[in-house]
Amino acid sequence: MIEQWFLWGFDALLAAGLISLAYQIVAGRHMFRSVVLFIVFGLLMAIAWARLAAPDLALAEAAIGAGLTGALLLSAYRSLITDEQESSPPSAVPRWAALLAGCLAGGLVAGIGWVVVGLQSPQETAGRLALQNLADSGVDNPVTAVLLNFRSIDTLGEVVVLLVAFLAARVVAQDINHAGPGDWLRASHREPILVGPLISFIAPMALLVTGYLLWAGAHQPGGAFQAGAVLAALGVMLRLTGRLRPTTEPSLIERSALVGGVVLFSAIGLAGAGLASAVLEYPPGWDYGLILLIETALTISIALPLTLLFSGSGGFRREVR
Amino acid sequence: MSWLDVLSAVLLISGGIFFLTGTVGMLRFSSCYSRLHALTKADNAGLGLIALGLMVQAESLWVALKILLVWALALLAATVSAHLIARFSLRVDRGTQRAPP
Repeated sequence: MIEQWFLWGFDALLAAGLISLAYQIVAGRHMFRSVVLFIVFGLLMAIAWARLAAPDLALAEAAIGAGLTGALLLSAYRSLITDEQESSPPSAVPRWAALLAGCLAGGLVAGIGWVVVGLQSPQETAGRLALQNLADSGVDNPVTAVLLNFRSIDTLGEVVVLLVAFLAARVVAQDINHAGPGDWLRASHREPILVGPLISFIAPMALLVTGYLLWAGAHQPGGAFQAGAVLAALGVMLRLTGRLRPTTEPSLIERSALVGGVVLFSAIGLAGAGLASAVLEYPPGWDYGLILLIETALTISIALPLTLLFSGSGGFRREVR
Repeated sequence: MSWLDVLSAVLLISGGIFFLTGTVGMLRFSSCYSRLHALTKADNAGLGLIALGLMVQAESLWVALKILLVWALALLAATVSAHLIARFSLRVDRGTQRAPP
């Protein structure tokens, strides 16, 4: 009984924290503060997903929502304030307009809430259907089964979105000086003594975790997106410590890695039209192997654009010192 | 309540006290270095005590070892980031002079 109360209190605290953080992120005048609070928001969000018994989402939220998005926002912030100090410009929106927008948005939320509360719970949900047919999917983890078998068209779309986002960022990005390594790389500064050991310890660990998450995705929480995010985090760290130097043009290997996931996924999906019954359908008995193959290609195709987005560059080469 | 529960409760609460102290220190201390000094106590000892308290309750040796690994990784990351922050702060204070490694 008392544990129940503890959990209620914890959930209430979590919800209140999320709402107040969200308010401070949007309403705060200082951009840097908002970025840092956004990272904290992502961490709390990951805990919220874990409380909702969705460990896959919690992993993805912690790695992508809090970690990589935070790094991207910080890097964008850095390039925004290169020549001007952060100032707090007065709000350009007149008070009555803000009030009106607030009232309209509040009314919309209240209306949607009213409709949602009145909804009948459906008898036959897609989730139950998916769980019933789990044995046919080739993997034991229901989330991976939905992502790569039952609704793989959505996953393919997500990977295309990521690739298009990277291409769009490349089109508008101007230089590759963003998010550079610390200025210890300049002639008069030496690298901090602890950075080298950290990299030599963390880099193999991150590779191990990437492989584990990828492999574990078949039967427990994990999968291409989580593994890709961890790999991208390693890339960000190598970039930040100057182990990777940005280049404007990607090499041939990088180009193939960037489109590899989409190409392989589409090819296997299209082959399904001939070898299996429909497009994006796997030939019987091949599910597990093909899903693993696609997930591996997707992991690399997710990690590379995320790292390149952070670096603001088209490609990488090794730093020569 | 077995003596194991008592042991883990004592460890968890003392870990919590370390974290509380570290947080108060970070909010109250004036300079960057003294704040780092307060935070490293929380990171090293506080997290270590909490990890120990959880390891006592772990269902298998394997789980206990994983918690130990979490603590070791957090320790490593905290050490390096504290070192980098202190180094950066030192360089800002001394202008363009090179910070001792």
